[in-house]
Amino acid sequence: MHPGGELETLMVRYQQGDFAAATALVRRLSPQLHRFFAVQFVSRTSADDLLQETWLRLHEVRHTYRPGEPVLPWLYAIARHIRVDHYRKSGRTSAREQSLDETPEMPAPRAAPAATLTMEEMLAPLPESQREVVELLKISGMSLEEVARATSSSVGSVKQKAFRAYEKLRERLGQMGGAS
Amino acid sequence: MRDGDIDDILKKAAEAQPDPDPALLDRIAASIQPNTRPVRPLPPPWVLACGLGLIGAATALIVAALLGFHGIHAMNDIQAVIFVGVAGLAGRAAMAWTAEMIPGSRRQEGPAALLALSCALLVALFAILFRDDLAEHFVSQGMACLKAGLMTAAPVGVAGWWLLRRGFAVNPASAALAAGTLAGLAGVAMLELHCPNFQTWHVLIWHTAVVPVSASVAVLAVRLARRLSPARG
Repeated sequence: MHPGGELETLMVRYQQGDFAAATALVRRLSPQLHRFFAVQFVSRTSADDLLQETWLRLHEVRHTYRPGEPVLPWLYAIARHIRVDHYRKSGRTSAREQSLDETPEMPAPRAAPAATLTMEEMLAPLPESQREVVELLKISGMSLEEVARATSSSVGSVKQKAFRAYEKLRERLGQMGGAS
Repeated sequence: MRDGDIDDILKKAAEAQPDPDPALLDRIAASIQPNTRPVRPLPPPWVLACGLGLIGAATALIVAALLGFHGIHAMNDIQAVIFVGVAGLAGRAAMAWTAEMIPGSRRQEGPAALLALSCALLVALFAILFRDDLAEHFVSQGMACLKAGLMTAAPVGVAGWWLLRRGFAVNPASAALAAGTLAGLAGVAMLELHCPNFQTWHVLIWHTAVVPVSASVAVLAVRLARRLSPARG
């Protein structure tokens, strides 16, 4: 059975009230969901919180998954919603807070060989939408169609974002190769 | 550097990412265990879209029956083509609204594009089918039609939300835009059944206006509802 099919089976069993299937899904999908949040420059604690919040919401709306449909676009559509909500809330909070003389937690570019870069450093020069597409396509292993579904956009738009992201990554990695 | 090389570097970087703490995964699993009971999945999207279409059509017919079928009686066969256009757009709007309420659905076009397409197509159809350049009582009759159209749209929006109440909108503003577009198109259908004023500028401006106004009201209503219940997210 292909991995997507196995996920679909687990999801259907989860909808039928099988707790073992729910646990299997949590263990199977959490690492990639955690990475999805981590590449958006949130702290590890925030990524943990977002992961927890996502599973609670997934559990609450598990009936919206349609058996026979791919699981990952459904899952990431909800995870994106949680992340956007997190930004909205943290934006509201930071608007009320007074600024401190402290720099935000952003990965600073460092002169290192490309192979030793962390995910955050690799994707740092990309705008959020391109970073998300690269993460979903290349790390989560979703197809163009699945990414389009998860991000509520068209396949053409996903292709274009991936193309632009790779142009920037090629340029950045090329510069690093030249420098090292 | 080739795309494959970039893929390899990305994969290595991803593998180096620390996995979530196993204790955290245990906590997550434990938090959902008490409520893991069977749930009924949503009906197929086409069933929900047909339901929305029926709500729109039934509401337009009921309101037009209450106000009188003056428009359709005065219409010639060619002008009746407007119903084909409105029905086609309403079908797309119903599918768009349904897609917005099921996370990870395949979408034909975004609700904003659908709204723009609906307005453009209605303007084109009205301009082609209704050729009377008079503009008597432009504002007073226009406001009456806009009001009647919106009064038709409101119950369509409410009944549609009820039908899709088990869905989950990952983007509530987009869902509201699709909902408002469908409700507005039901309002236009009612006006074409009821309104006997076939002056070009009247139908072009006031009948078409029902769609964007209805969509705007729906988006504002959702924003207001979200502001009043921030905990829901």
